[in-house]
Amino acid sequence: MRRLWPTVPGLILLGIWWGLSAAHAFPTGTVPPPDDVVRGFGSEIQSGRLLDDTISSLYRVAWGFVLAVWLAVPLGLLIGRSTLAREALLPSINFFRSISPIAWIPFAIVWFGVGDPPAIFIIFMATFFQIVLATSAAAATVPKVYYRVAEDLGMSERDMLFRVTLPAIVPQLITALRVAIGVAWVVVVAAEMIAVNSGLGYLVVDARNGLRMDLVVVGMTTIGAIGIGLDILFARLTHVASVRWGFDR
Amino acid sequence: MTMLALKNVGFDYGKVTVIDKLDLEVQKGELVCCVGPSGCGKSTLLALLGGHLQPTRGTLERKGASRTIYQDGGLYPWLTVRENIALGLPKGTSASTRKEKIDDWLAITTLRDFADHYPHQLSGGMRQRVELGRALAAETDILLLDEPFSALDYQTRTRMRRELAATLEARPRTVVFVTHDIEEAVQLGDRVVVLGARPSNVRRVLYLPPGRPRPPAAPGVAEAEQAIMDELGLS
Repeated sequence: MRRLWPTVPGLILLGIWWGLSAAHAFPTGTVPPPDDVVRGFGSEIQSGRLLDDTISSLYRVAWGFVLAVWLAVPLGLLIGRSTLAREALLPSINFFRSISPIAWIPFAIVWFGVGDPPAIFIIFMATFFQIVLATSAAAATVPKVYYRVAEDLGMSERDMLFRVTLPAIVPQLITALRVAIGVAWVVVVAAEMIAVNSGLGYLVVDARNGLRMDLVVVGMTTIGAIGIGLDILFARLTHVASVRWGFDR
Repeated sequence: MTMLALKNVGFDYGKVTVIDKLDLEVQKGELVCCVGPSGCGKSTLLALLGGHLQPTRGTLERKGASRTIYQDGGLYPWLTVRENIALGLPKGTSASTRKEKIDDWLAITTLRDFADHYPHQLSGGMRQRVELGRALAAETDILLLDEPFSALDYQTRTRMRRELAATLEARPRTVVFVTHDIEEAVQLGDRVVVLGARPSNVRRVLYLPPGRPRPPAAPGVAEAEQAIMDELGLS
């Protein structure tokens, strides 16, 4: 019963929407009635377009996100562990982090043309800098005592990186990745509104251009649902036994 | 045999002189307790003895490797009790004796039932037993303890003193034990070194009769305690 509790607000919202639509409370064309949206879902699923769009969007997010993590974590470790690197790089990281990823869209198109690459680039720009910052902050605050113990144990620099620093920052890294994947998902939709002709963002723009507000809602609903799914997926990582210490207090 | 020898050692943190003109020798198998007012550089002294810091002045000689046990939080939280202790084993321990040795240390520290627990799932006393197990598993001759029991409640602390004494009885080590607890110092130490306020050096040395831990009523204990209190200006 408790598990169904989170669906209650959604059902109430749905009820209000349905009730107001049935009473013709919305001016024509402003809010699509629920049964139109349900039909829209039906046709989009049947044509296979909804699945294709979802896969396209997830594909771009996966590439942009993995690329960002792959490059940002090592850089974050370097900045976190080296005062010199921190002083040199942190201002630039903060500079780029402050620029909305959407502002890169013109460059993305000029540099990468159309299709997947510009969208992947935008996702990369949206997540890379914040993962660098989160990683460096985590690496800079690893307790000194861990390294003293490592010295006693005769660990090499390499051992300290892989057997002390990395495991010590994993809980904070999981939290950072969870935030970043959320941002990536928001951004992919924005990116798809410009340079591509597939994906959930494109579905929304295309539907708007055709004045199909029901399909706009189909796109929005799918985006929201997948957002929840991604968050649940990343939240699962916090249940791994060797990282529980970072979440249990 | 002299395991640790400090001659005229000084240490500065920037412009602050923490330790100055400190002389100390520790013999093999001896348990030396260092007491002193807070901020007098006790932890700095241990970091010097452990080779984590280098003296600014003077000479420090150390025979062999050492292990340090910290007040709290020295265990790796991402490793289980068993894995933490395994980390302490000397390098080159063969795979066949490894498991056996880990089981030995789990038994000595009475942690067998908690071998697969993570540190955050244990009580403070249990965590310190894991630290002790990991440090002793190394089979290094020198053991440095930095207020290892001060985060524990009184009863646990008293019990841990007894356990430490019993473990050292069975597996002798050369120990430097830093504490602010005067009672602890006179119960455990073969010798108690009283450090002065910063910049600190040895203010007074007290020798205690054999047998650890000494009950509070044992001969010489109360007198030593009083002498330390006098030296620290606490009486």
